[in-house]
Amino acid sequence: MRKAEIVVSLLFMLVGFIVIADSVRLGFMWGRTGPASGFFPFYLGVGVVIASLIVLLKAVNEYRKQGEGKPLMPPGALKPILWVVIPSTAMVAIMELVGLHIAAAMFLGFYMRVVGKIGWTTTLLVSIIAPLSLFITFDKLFLIPLPAGLWGGYLLRF
Amino acid sequence: MMEDLNNLMMGFSVVTQPYNLMIIVVGLILGIIVGVLPGLGGANGVAILIPVVVTMPATAGVILLSMIYWGALYGGSITSILFNIPGEPWAVAATFDGYPMAKGGRPGKALVLAFLAHGAGAIFGVVILTFFAPILAEFALKFGPAEVFAVMMLTFSAFVGLGGKSPLKTVVAILFGFILAAVGMDIVSGQLRMTYGTVVLMGGFNFIVAVIGLFGLGEIFLTVEEGLKVEGISTRIGLKDIWEGMKEFIRYPKAIIMGMLIGCWMGFKPGGATPASFMAYGFCKQSSANADEFGKGAPAGIIAPEAAAHAAGTSAAIPMITLGIPGSPTMAVIMGGLMIFGLQPGPMLFKEHADFVWGFIASSWMGNILGFFLVLAFAPIFASILRVKFAIFMPLIIYVCAIGAYAVNNRMIDVYYMLIFGVLGYLFKKLDYPIAPMVLALVLGDMAEQAMRQALIIGHGSPLVFFTLPLALPLMVAAIIIFFWPVIAPLKARLFGKKA
Repeated sequence: MRKAEIVVSLLFMLVGFIVIADSVRLGFMWGRTGPASGFFPFYLGVGVVIASLIVLLKAVNEYRKQGEGKPLMPPGALKPILWVVIPSTAMVAIMELVGLHIAAAMFLGFYMRVVGKIGWTTTLLVSIIAPLSLFITFDKLFLIPLPAGLWGGYLLRF
Repeated sequence: MMEDLNNLMMGFSVVTQPYNLMIIVVGLILGIIVGVLPGLGGANGVAILIPVVVTMPATAGVILLSMIYWGALYGGSITSILFNIPGEPWAVAATFDGYPMAKGGRPGKALVLAFLAHGAGAIFGVVILTFFAPILAEFALKFGPAEVFAVMMLTFSAFVGLGGKSPLKTVVAILFGFILAAVGMDIVSGQLRMTYGTVVLMGGFNFIVAVIGLFGLGEIFLTVEEGLKVEGISTRIGLKDIWEGMKEFIRYPKAIIMGMLIGCWMGFKPGGATPASFMAYGFCKQSSANADEFGKGAPAGIIAPEAAAHAAGTSAAIPMITLGIPGSPTMAVIMGGLMIFGLQPGPMLFKEHADFVWGFIASSWMGNILGFFLVLAFAPIFASILRVKFAIFMPLIIYVCAIGAYAVNNRMIDVYYMLIFGVLGYLFKKLDYPIAPMVLALVLGDMAEQAMRQALIIGHGSPLVFFTLPLALPLMVAAIIIFFWPVIAPLKARLFGKKA
């Protein structure tokens, strides 16, 4: 927990420095027509650096005194979370190829069958009916074009 | 006053059109479902619907969005009480006493009490919205850029000073939100900022995508981590339950009033429904003569947080519609909906789009009253949704989230952002960085920056401009005091504590 605390505050400080660097490039003083583009972000960056520095110092101090503290996640929690994160990232990646609805159908089927251990009938029914009805609602009724991917347009032609 | 009533009547004539009535009922039912499902909250429920709503007329669209919020406020407590699983963050406090009462054999009564409290809180918030918002809007017409910036400072210092969580982390979260808002094109000069030559970053970050990731996926990761076990109490609400619930309800006027006032304050100051419900529960427990009954099914422990949550939800509309500062994350998303329709929230809205404003207010009356009867009649049916296995509806929620994130701007990159924001939301929750102020900073970022730069130009570059204008000065002073409150409060206690 405290390690994560330290890492996250360091990341925030990094963000702050990146912002400051870009603000200096844009100019953070008074420009020709008032405050320059970098004016507001500059102070945001400075603020983030200062505030996260204090958070960091506090966390380091506590780490020294009290050791690591509770783990960030309860034991055994990482696995189920990764079982959600990885398939959904894969779904988004597959979306680029076959489009949103087909990728989602694959994701639904995979998660329900492999992770959720749901019976085949339910899995097939849900992962076919849900994308189909959402496809009809969004793409056909409300005419909101959803990503078709590279090949999706050929696969869903109606 | 009379004028307000006339306007309200006009609003009702808009709302009672058959199409709008249908929208209200559909929105409420969707909202209650959103409320019942853990992982699908009010904020991202509304966010997902924004692309659909764009195809509707403005008034109907915004009514639909707000109905999701009212419905979700009602629905969240159903599963808290029957399953001990809060469907929404603001319904967590309802599990403290609601579930024990239900387990003790009175599920019907617990539900009736919760719904009555919601109804009372809602009506209180809507009354304030109806009669106070026009006055506030009239007053806010006098605001220039310096005052607008001062109001925002006050808003954000309220998060820091009165938020209760680590003030430093709140500061980091707010500044991070502002930074995300600043990415992309500078609205004043047109220069590109923090894009590092990439086209992808030019469009900046859309806050609706951030909401879907932070509140939607983040919440799902948390639910997955805890592992969801559904052990429900089944019930139906009979007439006897309603009668007894009502008799019990009026025996706790203190809890009702406390909940309504705390809720209204938290909705107004931005805090939102979640902190309001916890605060009301804490206060009510502290001031109660029999505090040891709390946690074992005390009726006051259901009434106070529920009334507060709903009062906070409805009164969060007041600063949103009059000042353009949403009082809760869900209200921020609804405000995003308004802006998509070209309705700029703020004092001018009352002048330029009076028909819309009063239609919205009238729909809040209608929706909250109808919602009460809907949950009273169909609570067991809505509760049965949770008997569907989590492994079935969880991937469906992610799927719908992806649709919402993509459809906001029709950009594929937003779907990736959604995933990243999801992980970020999980980390934020775990490490106690507050999400709500960050979202609000992301929403208000451009407006705050513009106001500050304009004010500085008016003041010829001197920051004194914020302290010399008669309306800006008190706002800024209040903002500074509240910002440093975590430092001042212990000092004050030390100074005055020793004398006593």
